[in-house]
Amino acid sequence: MSKNNQQKRRRLYELPPVNSLPCIEFSGNREVVIEGSRGVMEYSTDCIRINTGGMVLAIGGRGLNLRCISDSALIIEGFILSVEFIV
Amino acid sequence: MILNLLRYLRGWVRFSVRGRYPERFINIALRNRLRLWGTERRGDELTACMYMRDYRAVRRYARGSGVRLRVRERRGLPILLRRYSDRTGLIIGAAAFVITVFVMSLFIWSIDITGLDTISVSEMRALLKENGVSVGAFRPAIDDSAVSRSIMLADQRVGWMAVNITGSYVSVEIKEESPSPEVESIVDPCNVKARRDGRIIRIDAQQGRTALKAGSGVVAGQVVVSGVMDDQLGGVRLVHAKAVVLAETDYHAQFTVPKTVTTYRPTGEVKQRLSADIFGSRIPLTVGGVSTVDVLSDETAASPDPLHVALPISLITRRLYALEQQEMTLDDNSAKELLLREARLYELFTLSGCTVKKRDVHFTSSGDVYALTADYICTENIAVQEKIGTE
Repeated sequence: MSKNNQQKRRRLYELPPVNSLPCIEFSGNREVVIEGSRGVMEYSTDCIRINTGGMVLAIGGRGLNLRCISDSALIIEGFILSVEFIV
Repeated sequence: MILNLLRYLRGWVRFSVRGRYPERFINIALRNRLRLWGTERRGDELTACMYMRDYRAVRRYARGSGVRLRVRERRGLPILLRRYSDRTGLIIGAAAFVITVFVMSLFIWSIDITGLDTISVSEMRALLKENGVSVGAFRPAIDDSAVSRSIMLADQRVGWMAVNITGSYVSVEIKEESPSPEVESIVDPCNVKARRDGRIIRIDAQQGRTALKAGSGVVAGQVVVSGVMDDQLGGVRLVHAKAVVLAETDYHAQFTVPKTVTTYRPTGEVKQRLSADIFGSRIPLTVGGVSTVDVLSDETAASPDPLHVALPISLITRRLYALEQQEMTLDDNSAKELLLREARLYELFTLSGCTVKKRDVHFTSSGDVYALTADYICTENIAVQEKIGTE
């Protein structure tokens, strides 16, 4: 499949335009689902930093926990106060 | 819910991770496609959950990432099975229970029939049994629609029926065919004849020509009201004769009873036999009988129905009462009473459509028998319609 077609299809399904970027979904400030993670760089109850390949996603808050982790996705729950993209 | 069940079936471990870089341990685990859930960070300790099989593999990676693992909790079916693995009886019992429940659910436990009016329940049960539906029948072999179709074809009284199988319970709903009412023909020409010999008291002819008068005698088969009538042009016309012919009729009956009768009397000896009915087949639990040849027996069945669910198991108690023959000589009074009782039954059943005007009863004793001769004079409608013409 050509890159052009791939981008058209992603637009049709309202998906992020580039494959390599993570898909992040928030449920208020209590839960965030991150698809496309490459690893956990820091894990504490105040801050969780996730490597997503092109950038690092830093989630700050209180009582943060990783509810479920698989090789490409993870769910963070807790009281989220900030989101930082470190490129 | 489903995820929790799957985790329980596979078995899981809650463990703690201690070390300088627990993140490194998480990344190594994820890179090897090992799943983690329920992670919690408390100070420098991290706790997480993992499938049991994955945990065995992850211990190797823990050494590489410089952390120490410690199991906090083990849960799941494999743990339970391992704990009770030396209690073979318990495992066999549990397996036997599961197999028994599975096997029992393949058979019919009870049949409920509703909607019967003229057809008896036992008759319907027999029809269902002929078509393979009975207590203890193999459920997957029953084709409910074929059974209802076959019974509807076999018995014309069944107008509609449905066989519903819910688990091991069969409910049969029936609507009986309502018979079409007999319509009396008013156009077919016929005569009214006498059904019995007698003396005519009154003739109420609604149609037809009266051939006899009140007070005259009549013999069975004689025309009382004719369906052949003269018309004004000198010809004849045939009509549907209809009449009520009230006549006095005579009945004669004789009842006898021997002077010495043989009766059966219970000796007082009672024996009880128990048997278990499981899926329609009986298994005797106790044996034994009474000392006499002549026996009277009755049977009672007790079925457990916990929570109003009929089970295919019942305990049948059969009581045997020993009887002995006794010769009894009747005296005049008891013989007369016995014969009069028979005469009353005769009046009740044979003379049910008559009004008994006079009865003459003679009681005689001759030789070995007592006899009762009864002569009745009754009033009844002796009219019977008979078609004019040849068959």
